Amino acid sequence: MSEQTGKQLSKEEKDARFEAELLPVLDPLYNFAYRLTLDEDDANDLVQETYLKAYRFFDYFEQGTNAKAWLFRILKNSFINEFRKKSKQPAKVDYSEVEGYYNSDDVEGEGGVASTTDMRTESVQDLIGDEVASALNALPVDFRTVIILCDLEGFTYEEMAKILDIPIGTVRSRLHRARNSLKEKLEKYAKSMGYNS
Amino acid sequence: MESKFTEAHQKLSEDGHESECDKIAKLLDLMIDGEASTEEQSYFNTHIEECVPCFESHQKQKLLKGLVSGHLKRVIVPESLALSIKARIQETV
Repeated sequence: MSEQTGKQLSKEEKDARFEAELLPVLDPLYNFAYRLTLDEDDANDLVQETYLKAYRFFDYFEQGTNAKAWLFRILKNSFINEFRKKSKQPAKVDYSEVEGYYNSDDVEGEGGVASTTDMRTESVQDLIGDEVASALNALPVDFRTVIILCDLEGFTYEEMAKILDIPIGTVRSRLHRARNSLKEKLEKYAKSMGYNS
Repeated sequence: MESKFTEAHQKLSEDGHESECDKIAKLLDLMIDGEASTEEQSYFNTHIEECVPCFESHQKQKLLKGLVSGHLKRVIVPESLALSIKARIQETV
């Protein structure tokens, strides 16, 4: 094989290359889709659509370049163009309600005080995770997106700018505002966990 | 020693200009995201060694990032998804 351009590959070769280069991104891509849509079926559809689009444009994809950023960009555009209208609005989690529940010593119908105490010590990690998820899901989707890309997926500001089609300065300011917003939502919880603000 | 630094920072912020602490606040995200230049890093680190409020802001910002990166549960990809993607691609001419 002297040339590596997609057009000269057979269908089998192209499929094999596609799978080898792009399918390893499935896990982070699905997680991103889920955090955007907040629905497993929608995430499933969005990811499938993303891979089909990527396949159609695979000839333009340069082997060895940033496959993850490329797929994230396609997914994010699909979400904006087609999905956003029909996907569910971010779950408006009533933070005080959740917080009240975990702080409550008399949870009714949940096995009483003793089991609540056990639950606290056994699944503190889960509890923090749930709390972070609730706070994050309650953010506007643009804020949620930058936090996911940066903190969960570890993209650089430059990669984020390419994925989101915005200047790096906007990435920075959006991230800053998103974090302030998240901080606000988590503040009460952090205090209850012993972090003083 | 501590009081000396506190005084210095108060002086800076009183004169109406951007204080050193304000500049540090703007570097917080760059620092925790590993996006700060070498100069910015050394400027930042020198400052937080002496300034308790900025040191604490840095700790808090790191904690916030850590809450997302370390505690947000990843959802499990349905097993059927990879298979259906492969199948649909093979159908595509």
